[in-house]
Amino acid sequence: MEMCFQILLQGKRVTQRELFYKLLCDSPDYFSSQLEVNRSVQDVVALLRCSRFSLGIMASTRGLVAGRLSLQEPGKEAVDCSACGSSGFPISGDLNLLDNTIITSDARYIILVEKHAIFHRLVEDRVFNHIPCVFITAKGYPDIATRFFLHRMSITFPHLPILALVDWNPAGLAILCTFKFGSVGMGLEAYRYACNVKWIGLRGDDLNLIPQESLVPLKPKDSQIAKSLLSSKILQENYREELSLMIETGKRAEIEALYCHGYNYLGKYIATKIVQGKYI
Amino acid sequence: MEGKFQISDTTNLLRKIKDFTRSIVEDLAEGKSPEISINRFRNYCNDPEADCFCSSDEPKGREILTLRKTSQTYRIDMLLRVLLIVQQLLQENRHGSKRDIYYMHPSAFKAQSVVDRAIADICILFKCSRYNLNVVSVGNGLVMGWLKFREAGRKFDCLSSLNTAFPVPVLVEEVEDVVSLADYILVVEKETVFQRLANDMFCKTNRCIVVTGRGYPDVSTRRFLRLLMEKLQIPVHCLVDCDPYGFEILATYRFGSMQMAYDIESLRAPEMKWLGAFPSDSEIYGVPQQCLLPLTEEDKKRTEAMLLRCYLKREMPQWRLELETMLKRGVKFEIEALSVHSLSFLSEVYIPSKIRSESLPVTNLI
Repeated sequence: MEMCFQILLQGKRVTQRELFYKLLCDSPDYFSSQLEVNRSVQDVVALLRCSRFSLGIMASTRGLVAGRLSLQEPGKEAVDCSACGSSGFPISGDLNLLDNTIITSDARYIILVEKHAIFHRLVEDRVFNHIPCVFITAKGYPDIATRFFLHRMSITFPHLPILALVDWNPAGLAILCTFKFGSVGMGLEAYRYACNVKWIGLRGDDLNLIPQESLVPLKPKDSQIAKSLLSSKILQENYREELSLMIETGKRAEIEALYCHGYNYLGKYIATKIVQGKYI
Repeated sequence: MEGKFQISDTTNLLRKIKDFTRSIVEDLAEGKSPEISINRFRNYCNDPEADCFCSSDEPKGREILTLRKTSQTYRIDMLLRVLLIVQQLLQENRHGSKRDIYYMHPSAFKAQSVVDRAIADICILFKCSRYNLNVVSVGNGLVMGWLKFREAGRKFDCLSSLNTAFPVPVLVEEVEDVVSLADYILVVEKETVFQRLANDMFCKTNRCIVVTGRGYPDVSTRRFLRLLMEKLQIPVHCLVDCDPYGFEILATYRFGSMQMAYDIESLRAPEMKWLGAFPSDSEIYGVPQQCLLPLTEEDKKRTEAMLLRCYLKREMPQWRLELETMLKRGVKFEIEALSVHSLSFLSEVYIPSKIRSESLPVTNLI
């Protein structure tokens, strides 16, 4: 806490690694690993009921957004996220900046994409022009900035359904749940940015769409994640069924498995599911 | 590279693919096995005298694939399957990653490595780069600073927002109108160092471009760096952790990777300088003892393996010396250890003074 106080006094920010080294030299008897520093930070966050960001700890730019959306940061020109080249528009790690950004959109859906490669495919094919939507990805496990951004989107556009496209494996579901309920590892910070996210794919009833070879065995880590998810009280029944199916068959599948039908199949798949209202 | 491989080149490549396939069919029609010659490339070896030809980009031997051996038949089969997909990508003007290609026929390909090998074979056969086949992967690099450019119609005006990170474009061949007044390019290993520089508003007081690959640099980051070097003709400095992994990253930027040895020319930065951190820096800049972490067994093995590489002996003996010092001392440290006394030490003192001493004519240039 003292360290963060001093850093904030200087008007600066610090990365968790830098914090570790400073504490290593300052109080070597108390801190000997990055893990200890991270835990202490979480404790402080819980105690002061603040965010890591407000303690002066820098967040990285991980998330990307693309689609029928326009973002205007204070003092700058509005950026059209449907004209973003091949990469999408990066979601800033600065929560204050995100809070003060003006968002306008004519999308009808918000689609969360687990993986960067899938996001890239959807953006390159301009799928947001066929299905009026906004694509958001955190490139894996969601960081605070992406969750914050999603939360802002859900408040600004309360009627837009938020649909998640994740791999059919426990890790994918864990990512969906983090957006939906918050992250266990983040303590009290977690619930703040929870959003009503629905699972559009990849799901158990899509398994007939993919070739047998794409169903690969679960890794030991997957089983651990599945157990941990199943033990959570807030997990809804239909999600439990999906997890049980994964564990029983001992298999998992990635979204890319759908590519066997051709590249543009992914857009059609999403469109079909939306039209049929097949999301849980 | 920009301007060198355009639409007409795609047409050329498609024609070459057709010609290649036709010659195979002709061979088969005559009842004989086609002979496909695939060159071998490497960018370094472990020759102790460095008495090798690794510095040249020429192939170091070749393999001839025929249908007479089962293993080679398999390799030809995979090559043709991937070639078919590549042809479709080119004809439809779409891009796909190596992983996407694997997923198109997972039963045939059986493993990602099979696809990777086929793609390398195709590139060598048609003497082109991976991106010419429209095989690209999403990039992970970031750039900021005194730079403006366009990619696929979108404007990247890094100059207007000097301390904002912009993603390194994936389709580097579509980058145009590169404009810059920077004095040098600074490549940093880690995203956290990049963030530190952004937070300290490094680019406001230093006219430069900062690039990071966020760890081991991917192909698009390396190509983008190469493009900037060719267009701007300014010095490039590299800042990595003082540990074997950091050195490996430095070597990848500077000498290229073995995996992509067939395409070395467009992927390496031959005049890149090693700015730091050196083992000697820990004394000069007062890194506290606790921040000097011991080298693990894995670290030591890695360092010993790197010391054997011929390109170090031949081209950068000073780098080799520093690496030996690291091994002898048995300790490593990260860049962040330099900021222990003052968070802005890196941006206000370390980097500017190192760059200044680089530009003096008579110094120990590393």
